[in-house]
Amino acid sequence: MSSNDIEMISVTKAYGSHRAVNEVNLAIPAGEFVSILGPSGCGKTTTLNMIAGFAHPSSGDIRIRGKSQNGVPPEKRGIGMVFQNYALFPHMTVEENVAFGLKMKKRPIGEIRDAVKHALRRVHLDGYGERYPKELSGGQQQRAALARAIAPEPSLLLLDEPLSNLDLKLREAMRVELKDIQEQLAMTFVYVTHDQDEAMAMSDRIVVMQNGVVAQCGRPADIYDHPRSSFVADFIGKSNLLPIQEVQRSGKDWVVSVATGLSLRAKTPDDTLADPPQYCCIRPEAVRLTMVESDASTSANRLAGTLTRMVNLGAYFDCFVTLQDGTVLKSLVRSTRLPGLTSNQTVFLSIEREAVQLLPR
Amino acid sequence: MTSTDTLSITPQPTRLPIRFGQFLPLAPPSIMLIFIFAIPMGMMIALSFRGADGALLTLDNYQRFFSDDLMLAGLWRTALMSGLVAICVTVMAYPVAYYLARSTSRWRTVVFALAIAPELAGVVLRTYGWLVILEDHGAINSILIWSGMISEPLPLSKNLLGVVIGLTHVVLPFGILSLLTSIQGIDPNLERAAQILGASRLSIIRRIILPLSVPGIVSSLLIAFTMSASAYATPALLGGAGFKVLATMVYEQVLFYIDWPLAAVMAVLLLILMLTMTLAGTRAEARLQRKLHV
Repeated sequence: MSSNDIEMISVTKAYGSHRAVNEVNLAIPAGEFVSILGPSGCGKTTTLNMIAGFAHPSSGDIRIRGKSQNGVPPEKRGIGMVFQNYALFPHMTVEENVAFGLKMKKRPIGEIRDAVKHALRRVHLDGYGERYPKELSGGQQQRAALARAIAPEPSLLLLDEPLSNLDLKLREAMRVELKDIQEQLAMTFVYVTHDQDEAMAMSDRIVVMQNGVVAQCGRPADIYDHPRSSFVADFIGKSNLLPIQEVQRSGKDWVVSVATGLSLRAKTPDDTLADPPQYCCIRPEAVRLTMVESDASTSANRLAGTLTRMVNLGAYFDCFVTLQDGTVLKSLVRSTRLPGLTSNQTVFLSIEREAVQLLPR
Repeated sequence: MTSTDTLSITPQPTRLPIRFGQFLPLAPPSIMLIFIFAIPMGMMIALSFRGADGALLTLDNYQRFFSDDLMLAGLWRTALMSGLVAICVTVMAYPVAYYLARSTSRWRTVVFALAIAPELAGVVLRTYGWLVILEDHGAINSILIWSGMISEPLPLSKNLLGVVIGLTHVVLPFGILSLLTSIQGIDPNLERAAQILGASRLSIIRRIILPLSVPGIVSSLLIAFTMSASAYATPALLGGAGFKVLATMVYEQVLFYIDWPLAAVMAVLLLILMLTMTLAGTRAEARLQRKLHV
């Protein structure tokens, strides 16, 4: 027996000569909240549809709970799904919608009634059972769709951008609730989204997809701290991405020359370089901005420039600093830290060597 | 003027001025409809109440119709024929419309063209085609007799069966089109949602697709019924001399018996039959809609 709920083994889906999903290998452990994250057209929805059984792999194998799903139709896979547009049955009440899956499984009436009540309470829709979907708000429809999917208690739930039609406040509240429900039910959630905040907030594991292949797979913090490519660094969070022209060894450090002429010192965890790096990535919060020049004795990279633009994010400022050579670096500054900071003044930046990450592509 | 005056809301004129200019584009079609539709219809209704003695308002003609068993049989035959065609058309059109609504195959266009193509040939032409196939010396009977399966030709034409076959063929494209619009309006994700919840193909059709396509089913039934009830050529050619429906009876009264008032009665009754069905159909649909909340 495998403890993975889903295994994808070199799965490819081709439409003509276009490969929507290309040689994807993926193992999703039971009980985890896994997000498949990527821009539109990266193959994430196709992947989800193949797990659900709505699309069939051109080659490769998908296993659910250790069993190959080749030729198994969606209704026999025993999984739940929440659709982007909710897909509630408009001619049935909320109760009838939630009961549908149990009725199809021919459970006894009493059991269905209890399970429906239970599922509605879990999504805080008790008392709405008699209503029709069109009498509910967008958020309530979302909850009803979730209740319908979890009522038959599948071990695996697929969610296709379920929050994308909700407004921001509701979306943020639902993130917390979805995560709570997933933990309480100990269900495996496979969550497809293009919203990196959503993926970061809820996931145990994120699968970043790009052009049909898995760009990186790992825990949210790992992906954020150690992106493996400039695509991942750019897609997850904000970053300063600088194309590298030359890398030289200097003691235990690497000296990186950027196209504009800027040169930075970097330090890799194991002091080695697997591939020749193409980009260096610096997270904006790792760029420390000060109004006076910092202590010269530090080993950090020290730079000076002009603060050209400040974007107020409430608790933080996004500061754009133009260096002497023309490079623009973003720095994240807590609003209360530097009162009196204004644009067009000279500022100083310091960047730890460890924060300068070297990316192979 | 004080400053508060500028804040007060100026009273709206209680009556919006009707500008006749905005109705002007409606004039040509209205005049056209009044002359070719409303006036002749009014004249026909008036004619049905005219007595043989020149009286302007009498029920004599209606009494003549309702006391004649042959004429009453014609009325029931019209209703029966139209009802059967409506059901046949809707049942046959449904799978085609469903395929056309859901298919992404390149054959979809071909099927669509084939479904609509019969309308390009005239009704008379198509009816004669069916006569060639169905009559006593037609294709089907000839083959069956030649193969020795039957000795006497089967009664496939000159009766209700032949007329229903012919009319179903004539009306089918209209049934397909009205069902297609309705099924296309059903979100395909509903079918996927039902499927992932464990519903079989049959359950999906019975519990999701059929209830949600009720408006399309009703409009297909109504279109097929009214088109069949008012059809003349197909019942006349495929039904033969003994098969009388209101449309052929009107023709007979006007041309052979020169009894225009009685023909007008039949036309009015045909009109009432179609209006009743349309009204009943739309009422039933509205009630279902309210129940289904779609």
